[in-house]
Amino acid sequence: MDMAQKGHDKRSIDPAAVEMLQIADREGYATIWERYEKQQPQCSYGQLGTCCRICSMGPCRIDPFGEGPTHGVCGATADTIVARNLARMAAVGSSSHSDHGRKVALLLKAVADGSNTDYGIGDPEKLLAVATRLDIPTSGRSLPEVAAEVAAVALDCFGNQGEEPIVFMEKYMPRKRFQRLKDLEETLYATTGAKTGFLPRAIDREAVDILHRTHFGCDHDPLSLVAQSVRCSLSDGWGGSLIATELQDILLGSPTIKSVKANLGVLEEKSVNVVVHGHEPILSAKVVEMAQSEECRKAAEAAGAKRVNVVGLCCTGNEVLLRQGVGMAGNESHSELAIMTGAVDAMVVDVQCIYPALADLSSCFHTRFITTSEQAKIPGAMHIQFEEQHADAIATRIIKTAIDAFPNRNKARVHIPQHSSTAIVGFTVEEILKALGGTPQPLIDLIVNGTIKGVAGIVGCNNVKVQQDFFHKTLTTELIRRDILVIGTGCWAIAAAKAGLMDLPAQELAGPGLRAVCKQLGIPPVLHMGSCVDCSRMLNLAGVLADHLKVDISDLPLVGSAPEWTTEKAVAIGTYFVGSGIPVHLWPLPPILGGPQVTKILTQDAKDILGGWFFVEEDPIKTADQMEHIIMERRSALGI
Amino acid sequence: MKRIFVQYKKCLACKACETACAVEHHPAGSLAAALGDRKTQVNVRVLGIEHESFPLSCRHCDPADCLDACPSGAISRDAESGAILLDAAMCKACAMCAMVCPFDAISFKATHRSCYDRDVAYKCDLCNERVKAGRKPACVEACHSGALVYADYDANRLKQASKSLRAYLLGEEGLPPQLELFRELRRKEFARRRGGE
Repeated sequence: MDMAQKGHDKRSIDPAAVEMLQIADREGYATIWERYEKQQPQCSYGQLGTCCRICSMGPCRIDPFGEGPTHGVCGATADTIVARNLARMAAVGSSSHSDHGRKVALLLKAVADGSNTDYGIGDPEKLLAVATRLDIPTSGRSLPEVAAEVAAVALDCFGNQGEEPIVFMEKYMPRKRFQRLKDLEETLYATTGAKTGFLPRAIDREAVDILHRTHFGCDHDPLSLVAQSVRCSLSDGWGGSLIATELQDILLGSPTIKSVKANLGVLEEKSVNVVVHGHEPILSAKVVEMAQSEECRKAAEAAGAKRVNVVGLCCTGNEVLLRQGVGMAGNESHSELAIMTGAVDAMVVDVQCIYPALADLSSCFHTRFITTSEQAKIPGAMHIQFEEQHADAIATRIIKTAIDAFPNRNKARVHIPQHSSTAIVGFTVEEILKALGGTPQPLIDLIVNGTIKGVAGIVGCNNVKVQQDFFHKTLTTELIRRDILVIGTGCWAIAAAKAGLMDLPAQELAGPGLRAVCKQLGIPPVLHMGSCVDCSRMLNLAGVLADHLKVDISDLPLVGSAPEWTTEKAVAIGTYFVGSGIPVHLWPLPPILGGPQVTKILTQDAKDILGGWFFVEEDPIKTADQMEHIIMERRSALGI
Repeated sequence: MKRIFVQYKKCLACKACETACAVEHHPAGSLAAALGDRKTQVNVRVLGIEHESFPLSCRHCDPADCLDACPSGAISRDAESGAILLDAAMCKACAMCAMVCPFDAISFKATHRSCYDRDVAYKCDLCNERVKAGRKPACVEACHSGALVYADYDANRLKQASKSLRAYLLGEEGLPPQLELFRELRRKEFARRRGGE
């Protein structure tokens, strides 16, 4: 392969990744990058969004050059096909986040009624805060009573059959935004005579609605399909994801600001290394907890290991990083590289963003690749079924499996790249407000007087089409240099942590205004807000600012980006940002360019309709230019 | 003489041509039979060259280097269609044809046309029987985006030339603007990957 030359590798900018890829090239381990090359050339109908596989009269494809077929067999236009495909992506993405949230709500219910004793109320203060937000009475009531009602309200958001907006959204979304969406529904009904909804009625319903309306012969109107995509995505951002975040804080404890290490260097040569990977922290938090138990410690020592070292990957990693301070092995594209170190005794996965290739790769090593979820089984993996009511025992069994594998480790093949960066993490809305003295006013003052121009929220995956972490790092560095505070989640946050942007020395990379603020508060200029469901924390922060100022989110100098995005979840996140009034940058290209009308709705019309819109840019510096331009435009509209 | 012309900017890499070719050249003539059959032959391959894709198959050159190089007389030209044809029964799999082919359009394996399961050379036969019956080659018929055109050279050239000249002389748009953007962004994506910026 000609991908690596003189320490420069077009696959990744991460030095640990570059080191591991040399080993992959030498040993012939298959990677996402190699499989991507083998996939070339990839079908442009798919990339343009104009391939319809919905019924068995198809598949139909629209000729983008306008000379071949212009309609599917049923008569669907390119715009209908693009809009339907996009809606389905939003439905899948929303469902993934929201189904995660459902399990947390069910667990809170089980803890409240005493049927689960492995978990408890980890943060009573947060429970009371959430209850208060939801107008649930707390005085004179026991914690389980309050928890039961919070869980009931959350679960009702999933399955309510009424027409009213879901309670979590109503209580968390800033007033002006809520009103704007409500007015929009009414205006559209009055002017067109047709019903179009933006406020979600129930989380499950909005995804099912998309499955229904994109069935053969239903909704063919691009605007209507986009509107439903927004409604479904909002049911994720202000529903499923928000419930996941808030209720996980209640159960597992709210994250606090702490210092951690990030990158493959967190693996320890002399310890049993367990990598937790995926998205749901309910199990992984237990794995971390049980690794420290007397039983597991002794077993590890008996096997000749120093200790059990649990580290994270992807968003499960983010969750345990924020709450329990474990090391972060890396983001999505690091998952194969971690196994190639030969030092991972078990990789334990739950759901989402887990390459099935990990099973094959693990079989080249002593690594036990353990699936745990009913919803994510992978051929070639060992399955240890997770059940919340036996969490302690199952987590212990997982760790014992890793300990049993440890003696089989081939020491000659172990190569742990000695790269890890310090990152200060755990900036939840509560922690940010605490740092500011309990009110958002100091942050607002800083934005008003121009010390900080605005705030950029970045989220993301890794995408094999972009050099790993290149866009994340370049864009983030460029934004802080321009005195724009950067907050974010997911695999972007891990990229920023690995790149050292979440450490105090990164203050020097910031512009003079932001640098001074960060030095005064003792924080980095780039803030880790959590996993990808924790994008709800970003919405929440935007909401706190908007309500404090009595304006809409779309008036605030905020902008979003999903560089290196990969998944359908990112479509949902981007769409709920746009639906909440925040312009969002995307790269790589979303599959919409085959539909000119859909492209126009998302990139232009949405600006007037929703106050948020999408834009696409391939170059990180030009992206920063556009993001700054949007922030400056919004500042001048506010007269600041 | 009619040829398959490739307008590569219109190739969307959907690979419908590959599937149609496999079915056309399978004795059962069905996709279900061609799938999983190691003898299935695909005479056209969509190659990715950076951001461009190109459905590559035999160009049916005249004179054809492969025809001249073949020592066993397995390669001939159909006088009516101009197609360069390969007789699997006479092929010795010496690979001289493949070595001299300027387009690397000749492959080797045991196909349904080879005897005794021998590896033989195989390549595009221009769907000779089809075209002589007045039909288009299977790949051309399968192409939705107009990337593959089976046409008389002169007629095709004049059509293309006048279309290009409309763009040059009258400033008429070539590609739809969204597609222009799509191509440009893909070009940049691949350039960055190559440069490893």
